[in-house]
This record gives sequence, structure tokens and C-alpha cells, in this order.
Amino acid sequence: MFGELLKGLQTTLRYMFRPPVTVQYPDVKRPVRERFRGRHELKRFANGQERCIGCSLCSAACPADAILVVPAENNLEQPTSPGERYAATYEINMLRCIFCGYCEDACPTNAIVLEHQYELSFYDRQTSIYTKDMLLVPPDQGHGEIPPILTQLGDKRPSPPAQIDL
Amino acid sequence: MDDIVVQVLIMLVQVVVLVLAISTGFAYLTLFERRLLARMQNRVGPNRAGPGGFLQPAADAVKLFFKEDVIPTLVDRGVYLLAPALAVIPALLIWAVIPFGCLNIAGDYQACFADPATNPNLHNIFQLADIDIGVLYLLAITSIGVYGITLAGWASNSKYAMLGGIRASAQLISYELALSSAVLAAVMMAGTLSTHEVIYQQMTMWFVIPQLLGFVLFLISGTAELVRAPFDLVEAEQELTSGYNAEYGSMKFALFFMSEYIKMIAISAIAVTLYLGGWNAPGLELLGSLMTGMAGPLVGSIAVGLASFLVFLVKVVLILFLFVWMRASWPRVRYDKLMYMGWKWLLPLALLNVAMTAVFVVVLPDALIHSVALFVASLVVMAVAYVVSSRVKPAPSRSRIKMVQPEVPRRPSS
Amino acid sequence: MKAEGTMIKTEELQINIGPQHPSTHGVFRMLVTVDGETIVDLKPVFGYLHRNHEQIAEVNTYLQNMPYTDRLDYFNSMANNQAYAMAVEKLAEIEVPERAEYIRVIMVELTRILNHASALGFLINDMGAWQTPLAFGMREREKILDLFESTSGARLMCNYFRFGGVVRDLPPDFVPRLQSLLTGLPTFIDEFERMLRENEILRIRSEGIGVLPKEVAISYSVTGPVLRGSGIPYDIRKAEPYSIYDRFDFDVPIGTVGDVYDRFLVRIEEMRQSKRILEQALKQLPDAEGGHINPKARQNIRPPVGDAYTRIESPKGELGFYLVSDGGQTPYRYKVRAPSFINLTPLSDMCRGYKVADVVVILGSIDIVMGEVDR
Repeated sequence: MFGELLKGLQTTLRYMFRPPVTVQYPDVKRPVRERFRGRHELKRFANGQERCIGCSLCSAACPADAILVVPAENNLEQPTSPGERYAATYEINMLRCIFCGYCEDACPTNAIVLEHQYELSFYDRQTSIYTKDMLLVPPDQGHGEIPPILTQLGDKRPSPPAQIDL
Repeated sequence: MDDIVVQVLIMLVQVVVLVLAISTGFAYLTLFERRLLARMQNRVGPNRAGPGGFLQPAADAVKLFFKEDVIPTLVDRGVYLLAPALAVIPALLIWAVIPFGCLNIAGDYQACFADPATNPNLHNIFQLADIDIGVLYLLAITSIGVYGITLAGWASNSKYAMLGGIRASAQLISYELALSSAVLAAVMMAGTLSTHEVIYQQMTMWFVIPQLLGFVLFLISGTAELVRAPFDLVEAEQELTSGYNAEYGSMKFALFFMSEYIKMIAISAIAVTLYLGGWNAPGLELLGSLMTGMAGPLVGSIAVGLASFLVFLVKVVLILFLFVWMRASWPRVRYDKLMYMGWKWLLPLALLNVAMTAVFVVVLPDALIHSVALFVASLVVMAVAYVVSSRVKPAPSRSRIKMVQPEVPRRPSS
Repeated sequence: MKAEGTMIKTEELQINIGPQHPSTHGVFRMLVTVDGETIVDLKPVFGYLHRNHEQIAEVNTYLQNMPYTDRLDYFNSMANNQAYAMAVEKLAEIEVPERAEYIRVIMVELTRILNHASALGFLINDMGAWQTPLAFGMREREKILDLFESTSGARLMCNYFRFGGVVRDLPPDFVPRLQSLLTGLPTFIDEFERMLRENEILRIRSEGIGVLPKEVAISYSVTGPVLRGSGIPYDIRKAEPYSIYDRFDFDVPIGTVGDVYDRFLVRIEEMRQSKRILEQALKQLPDAEGGHINPKARQNIRPPVGDAYTRIESPKGELGFYLVSDGGQTPYRYKVRAPSFINLTPLSDMCRGYKVADVVVILGSIDIVMGEVDR
């Protein structure tokens, strides 16, 4: 009656002498994989200008309606971003966001990127809304040259290119 | 007069120290269990509070103390409040007769190893009371614990708790029989009900050898008595959302928890006392004589006392390990099957064991011979039981699952 | 047991198991009528996790629905993705390149293994084994989830499939990592089986419990391991080979009795078969030139007017998506045939006459995810 029960005991005993597989989270942080979709970041170009041109395509692509973009006209002397407009307000509600990555796919200038930060916790709903200041990377962390199409300033400016139609 | 006052004082100190020690033991048993379970499950277990999680029990205790003490509106207030106490007090009372070492404050270590009948000068402070009916007392007190559980289940006025309470009363009463019968056989071997004398009788050979069957039965029914996995139906979390204590919170819950774990240590201690030679181990006498020769009788006595306590502790921990190990490995038995096993397997086997022991002890008066004979008989009985049980429920055949290749319809050629 | 008339009449008791209960696998309620410990009647009540999935889908564009399908059966997001992608592809007549089909099969078979590993863990946990099998199952699941993370960017909500393929090609180290996982997998399955298959307590708890006879199973249109446990060799991968399943050689395990034990064994065996499929798929996997997605396939589609139903063998059973298009950007009608939901319907028939403790075990053996039941 009890013979087969011993096999179970044997298994558990064997595991007792093996190292645990636990990653002791706050002390040890398992590096995420390269493609991991974590918290968003708003990128910059190498010269420090914001990549976001306020086109709201991310907002349109978002299945969860988590992104709010309010564009504004660039100051031509000191443009915030190349091109005509920039995002005056850029907010992502992290409680709504489902981290599907469609905003990243939709962005014509690769401004919004889902990066590797995954520790998102809030005390209330207000703080779950990430504003532009929180999302924007520091000016020295920009990369890439401004594509020529965005620098053709003038009256006959093209509308923002749609890299990926969505 | 003064003598009595001193004795009472000593007794009080003993009691306070014992209760504190057991409570600490309970606290660290929870840690021991959690760490061990974790390791068996490839995890680490609680290791945040203090070095290696050493302060985890303290953290738990503080948390439970400061929890809001909720009493649901529709409970039977009096019984509801009484039940935790009824559970925890018997658990503590069990310890009164358990010798967890032998420290003779009279200063003569040899009294520990001498025949108690001819040597009444033993003042073992590692045993609260060596009463003549010690084993009977143990059985009586362990059974009282069921009242706490049943009453808690009833008074909570909750369906889950009530089912837990009903299960508890049925399970504990049925397993009490098998447990007592197993103990009875050991008592017959020892010829005494005094716990100290039972240990003395095991100086030459631990009862686990002649009473192998009894020991196994004791462990099984002891686990059921403790409502430990795999017999933890009373508080089956998956079915009854922790059963009888579902409506209890804060310290009242902690008391139930405490009673369970203290009983767990106690049952292990009883198993050690009855079957594994108690605090005794080979070499203790040698240690005593060495220390006495080096530093006098009092030091020798203390050395023996501490060493015997250590031996006792090691044995208890081994049995506790077994309890935890079983919990980590096996699923839970179903209620009706538990009853089936209790009445149709354990009780007949326990009665057979009693009969066997009685016959062998009387027919073969020499201790060694009847021990060996009983050992062999135990093995035979267990083998027969194993064969019969596997006949009753044969192992599943490999053909229980068939592998088939269903016909694949051709794809329409489009 | 005595005959009915001679027993003492006792009052029946109604118990609500759930919605807040540790072993209802989510917010699921069972209104149980018990006589002592025996189940007289059981009424499943669900809807506590209703998220209006199908209605939302009619507002979203076709592509925007893809991440929502992840959240139906959150153990098997890849399988849900596949079913939905296939439905849209059928509706819009999109071709899928060969390599993409292989990637899809690999992902879905991995999903099957992880689903069964954790489902069996939960089943044994419901029987009262204190989390050890669950911990082992979860450990194995974690390895697969890591593969998912490196491929799709998320462990659970993969959102990896697109119409006409998958969103990105496999990462370069995927194949060796999958191979090393596959070499370790039989050890896990064997160990799991050895630990529990012949365990007396498990057998007491599962043999003859929750028997679902063939006819009843068919009449409730049960699918998946539950149906196969009842002894019907029905597997959509064989019955109506979709994707490229006709290229693989694998067996369909079926039970003989239809009890919890059979479902347990069927799932263990299915993990082995999935491993076989994975090995074959790795061997046949075309080079990267095949392309992971049909370059002509637009994601922002407006399918022609019409309807389409596709079904796949998800780890839990037949998962089907029914889509009606009115030619617009969003589906006109979107319906999910959720295996968890349909497998749950015979629950009261399966439980009647057994004990309270068996209810949670039977429920565990059906392997439901409330996200899919309530949608």
C-alpha cells in the first residue's frame, strides 16, 4: 500500500540537496531579454532634439487608449524637435497600457521605444500617468542623425512620413 | 515547610521555562518547516528577516499580535473565544510528563541510568512530573485537543468551518483508537506507564525494533491525529479554505497554529520516548563517568543532562523532518478514504500488533528473544499487508493510456 | 453503505465554493448542495471576470485585437494568437510563409508543454500536495517563458503573431536554447510522472473520480485533453490538420475510463508528443531566407465582406474564432469558441455523487482559465 509513496519522498529529498532555482529578486535582478517590452522611453536625436514630432500615430495605434499626445508648433529659433510640431504633452497611463508594442511599431521617427524597465508600481492612479518629463531620456543620451525629410523646413514641408501604416 | 516552598518554586520556574521553550520551539519549527519545504520545492524560503530568515518567526508573531481582532457578528461568542484556548492548553499540557533529558540535580548522573524501581532518588529537572500513569496521561491529553478544533468549527457559524469541525471530530476519534493501540503494545513491552521507566526499559534495545509495526502505525495515526499532511483534511486549504479556523484571525488564529505545531513537536517527542529510546544514547553513561571523574558529580550530572537533552532534540528533529517531508511530497487523502484506512487497515493492524506483542512477551520471557521474534513478525505482517493492499488496488497498467494515430483526412486539393 | 430508506435523514447544506476560493482557478463560483460530504447538486456560476472581450473586439481594428487575445487564456497567449491570426488570414486570404508556419508551430507546442506542466501542478495542488508538483511545473514553465521573452519581448502576453506570419524572426540563439531545453524536458516529465503516477494517494484521489463517459463528453461538445481522457481520439491537429501539422509524426494519447487519472496521464503523454513535434519542427525549420512574415500582408487590413471560422487544438481544447467582416476596419462580429468555457459545462454531471474534496480535483482536471471562460 505504501510502496509507491516512497518514490515521491525520494524525489523531494533529492531536490533538497540541489541549489534552489529562485532568483532573489530585489537583490538579484535577472536581466531581461533584449526584446523585452517594458516601460516606454521617448528618445532623442544625437543633437539633443526630441525624436517625437507629435504626430499621435502611437495614440491611434494603441489598442488600450493609453497614450495622450497634445502637439504644439515648434519654436523655429529653438525647435524642440525637428519638423513642424512637437509633443507638448505626452502622457502614458501605465495602468491602461498593455505593453503590446504597437506604439513602437507605429512611430515614424522611432521616438517611443519600450525599454527594459519593468518596476512599475504606484500608490495611486494619478502617479500611474507617466508624463513627458518622466519618459524623455536625458539630452546626452540621444542617438542617430535627423533624417533629411524632417529637416526640410519651409512652406512645402511634407507631412510626417508614415513608416509603418497602421 | 520551606522544602515545599522551594519545590513549588522550582516547579514554577520549570513550568515557565518549559512553556517559553516550547513556544520558541514552535516558532522555529515554523521556520524549519518553511525553509525545508522550500528547499524540497527548489526554492529558498523565508530569508529576509534577520540572517537566514532567523527572525522570521518574530516578525510573524509581531504581525499576528497587531492584527485587528475581528469577531464575526453571528458567532457563538463564548465558545468562539474559548476554542483557541481549548486547543492550545492541552497541547502545552502534554509536555508535563515528557522527559526531554535527564539532569539529576541531586548530583548523581547514575540515577538516570539506574532501575527506577530500586532507585527513587532521581530529581530530574528535565521532566516536570514523572507520574505513574504517564503514558495514559499522554493519550488522554492528546485526545482533548479535538474539542478546541470541533468547537471552533461549530462556533464560527460558517459552513466551511463546520465541515472542518465535523471532519476533525470524526477523524481524530477514529485515529485515536489506532494510536492508543499502537502505544499499548509499546507499554506492554515496557511493562510500565511511567515515561521515565519506558526509557529505562529501552536502555538495551530501542522499542522501534520489536515494535517496528507499532512505530509505523504510531507515525501514521499520529500524523492523522495532528491533522498534518497528508491527513490535513480538517484544514484542507484547497477544499475548505483552511477549515475550522477560517473565521479566526490575529492572535486567535495564532493560538490554533501554535497548538498544531506544539502538538506536532509533542507527538514527535512521544514517538521518541516510546520507540526511539528517549533522551538516551550510547555513550551518555561514559560521558557521565568521565565528567564526574574530571570535575565532580554535579558537573557530570549537568553534562549528562545537557547531552541527553541534545540527543532528545536530535531525535525529535528527525521525526519532525519526516512530517515536513511527507507534507512536501504527497497529496491529501480524501475524507472517506481516510476513514476507510483508519478502520479497515490501521485499527486491525494495531490490534494484531497488540495481540502479537502480548503472546510473544508471555511465551518468550527473554527480552532479546521476544524482541527479535517480534521484529521478524512485524516485518512479516507488514509484507503481508503490502501484498494484500496491492492486490486490493493493483498498480495501474501501462495500457491505461492508449496511443492512437487517428485517420488524417486528405486535404482538399485546392 | 445502507439502503436509502434506512439512513437517518439529514438536512442538505448549500455551500458557495468561490468566487473567492483558493482552488476555483479564478473568480468562479460553484453553488454546491451537499449531503454530509457528498455532492447532491452543483451549479456553476460564472461571469465574475467578464471583460466584454467580444464587444471590445468589434470596436478595435483587426490588429488591435491581437494583444487582447493574449488575455483570453493567459497561459497560452501564443495559441490564442495563432487561432486569431488564422481566422483573419482566412478572412483576408493572406498567405503565410513556410518559416513563419514552423515558428508558429514551435511556439504553440511550447505553449502546450508549459500549459500542461502548470495545469498538472495545479491539479496535484488541488489534491492537497503542498505545492511541490506545482513548484516543479512552474520551474519548467519558467524556462519556456524565458524563450518566449527572448522571442516576443514578453513572457505571458506575447502578442507575437501578425497576419501573415510573426512579428519578428527568431533570435539567433533561439534554436540552440530550445534544443537544450528539449534535452532537459524528458527528465522533468519522467520525474514528474515517477513522483506521482503510481502514488497511492494520488490514485485514490483520481481513479474513478469525475468520470465523464464518452457519450456525455460528446453531447456536451467537450474537447481537448478532457475529451481524449474519455477515450475519443479527437485532436484537431489530426482531424483537420491546420497550419503544417500534417507534416509531423505524433500520436494522440487517449484514456480508457475518462476519470481524473486518465486526464492526468493524457496530459503527461501530450507533453511527450509535443516534444516529438518540436524536435521534428526544429529539424525541418527552413532557413531565415524564408521570411518570418509575408511581406505583402498589410496589418491594417480591411478584409472583404464575409465570414470565417478557424479552429486550432489549443492546449485546453478546440479554440475557435468566428469573424464576420463588413468590409470595414473593425470586425462586424467577433466570437470566441473558448475551450475552457465549454469543457466546464459538464462539471455538475461530473461532480454529482462525489465528495466535496473531489469537486476541486475535478475542476482542476478540466483545466480552466477564468479569463477564457468569462471573456
